[in-house]
Amino acid sequence: MQLKKSLHAKKTTPVKKPLQGKKPLHVKKPKSISGALATATCALLGTHLPHPAAASEPFKNWEYDSALLYYSEQDRVTAVEPVISARNDMGNDQFLNFKFVVDALSGASANGAVPADKTQTFSGPSGQKSYSVAPNETPLDPTFEDTRFAANVLWEKPTSRYLKALLGANFSTETDYTSLGVSATFTYDANNKNTTLSAGASFSHDTVSPIGGAPDPFTEVPTSSTSGGENEGDDDGEGGEGEGGETKNVTDLLFGVTQVLSRHTLTQFNYSIGQSSGYLTDPYKLLTVVDPVTGDLVPAVDPNNTYRYLHERRPDSRTRQSVYWKTNHQFTDDVVYLTYRYYWDDWDVKSHTVDLRYRYELGRHHYLQPHARYYQQTAANFYRYYLVDGEPLPQYASADYRLGDMTTTTFGLLYGAELGKNSEFTFRAEYMKQSNQGYPADAIGKLRDYNLSPDVKAIILQASYNVKF
Amino acid sequence: MDTPQLIPQLTPQLQFSEDYCIGRFNAMASPCEVLMDTQDPVLAGQLAGIAQREALRVEHKLSRYRQDNIIHKINHAQGAAVKVDEETAQMLDYAAQCYALSDGRFDITSGVLREAWTFDGSDRIPAPARIKKILSRIGWHKVHWRPPKIRMPKDMQIDLGGIGKEYSVDHTVLLLREAAAISCLVNFGGDIATTGPRRNGNGWIIGIETPDASPATLNANTKVYELQHGGLATSGDARRYLLKDGVRYSHILDPRTGWPVQGAPRSVTVIAGTCTEAGIMATLAMLHGDQAEAFLDQQGVKYWTIRA
Amino acid sequence: MPRIYLALFLALLPLVVLTQACSLERVKPWERDLLAEKKMQLDPHPLESGLDEHIYFSKEASSGGAGVGGGGCGCN
Repeated sequence: MQLKKSLHAKKTTPVKKPLQGKKPLHVKKPKSISGALATATCALLGTHLPHPAAASEPFKNWEYDSALLYYSEQDRVTAVEPVISARNDMGNDQFLNFKFVVDALSGASANGAVPADKTQTFSGPSGQKSYSVAPNETPLDPTFEDTRFAANVLWEKPTSRYLKALLGANFSTETDYTSLGVSATFTYDANNKNTTLSAGASFSHDTVSPIGGAPDPFTEVPTSSTSGGENEGDDDGEGGEGEGGETKNVTDLLFGVTQVLSRHTLTQFNYSIGQSSGYLTDPYKLLTVVDPVTGDLVPAVDPNNTYRYLHERRPDSRTRQSVYWKTNHQFTDDVVYLTYRYYWDDWDVKSHTVDLRYRYELGRHHYLQPHARYYQQTAANFYRYYLVDGEPLPQYASADYRLGDMTTTTFGLLYGAELGKNSEFTFRAEYMKQSNQGYPADAIGKLRDYNLSPDVKAIILQASYNVKF
Repeated sequence: MDTPQLIPQLTPQLQFSEDYCIGRFNAMASPCEVLMDTQDPVLAGQLAGIAQREALRVEHKLSRYRQDNIIHKINHAQGAAVKVDEETAQMLDYAAQCYALSDGRFDITSGVLREAWTFDGSDRIPAPARIKKILSRIGWHKVHWRPPKIRMPKDMQIDLGGIGKEYSVDHTVLLLREAAAISCLVNFGGDIATTGPRRNGNGWIIGIETPDASPATLNANTKVYELQHGGLATSGDARRYLLKDGVRYSHILDPRTGWPVQGAPRSVTVIAGTCTEAGIMATLAMLHGDQAEAFLDQQGVKYWTIRA
Repeated sequence: MPRIYLALFLALLPLVVLTQACSLERVKPWERDLLAEKKMQLDPHPLESGLDEHIYFSKEASSGGAGVGGGGCGCN
């Protein structure tokens, strides 16, 4: 360094003299000359202002992506979800991406109890609103309503000719849940950019603050507002802030290879492993305790309650693994996208997911894209439809249908229109159906007559618009 | 307008690819090519011929090695005024504007520095006194440019090589646009411009080589960019430098000091509305040394820089 | 149990494909015109896939696979 300095000083000092009185050599801030230069070039070439590759407008190099999703289950939850994302091209292959999502949910969701031949009454999560379920109906909690806000920032930066870093941070909040996370993914281009290796890690710290406090697992659920609070961990009854809430940490690792197979084909293979620990229980889900012979509801132990229902209990850790394979293949113009995932975890959930999309070009920058998805999972080892009175309590139990044996099929159609080279509009409609094992062979007494886990049907509508400046 | 007297090979070589055609020839000491979004051999031959004639015409006109062109006439006028043709006048106007806009960093009279500097990877650093002496013969402000007449001190020289190649690329694009309504990509030794998007709405895919790409690493170090409109140019060459006492002297000379710019990237590639603008931007970025990226950010152009 | 074998087969299939790929002719930078198109990106519609991932995350017991990061949700 010293040598460099002395050389520099010695050689340049004498020639600085004739420049005195002129502008200093080291200009503090470069000025923008692109406009003047463009005008000068037009004069030189005798043309009108040429098509700018990068216009120097305030929104230059920004790409906006927006979408509005409507999700509606038959008789159950409805969600409206607007999303906006902005991506800035910072030059030198650096990008900064911001994304905001609002998720407004309302409607009814299954609370885990089984149908009965009597009217069942439950108190809502707040302990204030109670609701009744008619005989022979699947108990749904209709008081469910929440709005979630999520923000996400992602910075994409090449660190060398081959290595690229993607650093992200995300935050989301809803009434009873807050999540704070960071992620980092590194990609390495090899083999003349035909192979890309990637490794990623993410960590998130979530706080669950159930309305009315987190209930103690396997305690009796209050069934009316008057009995509310007696078995609760948190007695103040208002909001979820009391006692700080429960926490959950989620760590994920991913290793992937992307390979260009030909001018028309691209394939990706990922292996992921993740660990969740902390409060993994759903504070609003419960299990019915039934009579071992008749399958009837049994009276509550607490005289203030009607029948006996217990809060669920899940393990406080979960290790998830998956292999994921994706292939894109382009025919003359059409493109087919095929994805397969095999997932397994230490709750004994195993699942296969196959997702197929076919982009059919209609010509003139319009296309149709049919979509089919098939998902099939096995139940978690502690999944039960109900608990049996008199039998010893298992270590863990949940009647959340999402942890049971299940098949989801989705069919959809997307229409896309490329409006010029820099903007695109898409609209899609999908139909989703979740089928569960509703009539278990070992159901007790009257419960044989009920579908303990009826199908969930939903429609998904989405419009999106993408524009680049 | 000068007419080339000797054209080594009038017909460019044509090669047909999957859905386009490439015409190849040599001009301006570089391999040149035109990619045409057509498979019609007659049309492709005509278009490639237009490009070749234009490249050779500009080379002939601006070469400082010839003795029968306008540059030679100006440089050997011995202090007398020289009347120039309209095209040369426009280029001189342009050079004058670039000189003003760059605060003297871009100067077509700086070529005489080559008398002292030879960037051959050796350690031959010229003596400061010699540079100082040459510096007195540099400076566009010393030139009397009253269009269409130019008069300059007899020991000064001009060189339009710094914009000539990019200019001929853009000019070829204009000629091709007039000649046919198909998309073409003009590439004269890495200075590139396109007439517009291809039939399928896509741009042309351009591999941007890194400066130290040798035949062995040529593909491995290539970046890819899709050019739909406008032009692209690269400044910088890692093989042209001097090395003395551990200090690397880049071949980018600041005409105001006569010395290499400190801290310049090894290469700068710029995308702009035309190849000429891209070329000037890339050159000026180099002349900003360690401020190259800051300068480019300010200009709002898409660019890539490579630093060792 | 046959389900497990199917899973193993499907999990190993991409490895076989990748091994095969090494013997395929490499795609040159200038042959990447099709791969450069938006529709040939691994995720051509990132907002849509983000929304889908969120839906299935909240309705099914499995999640992840395509990437890391994204954010938690009280929905599951």
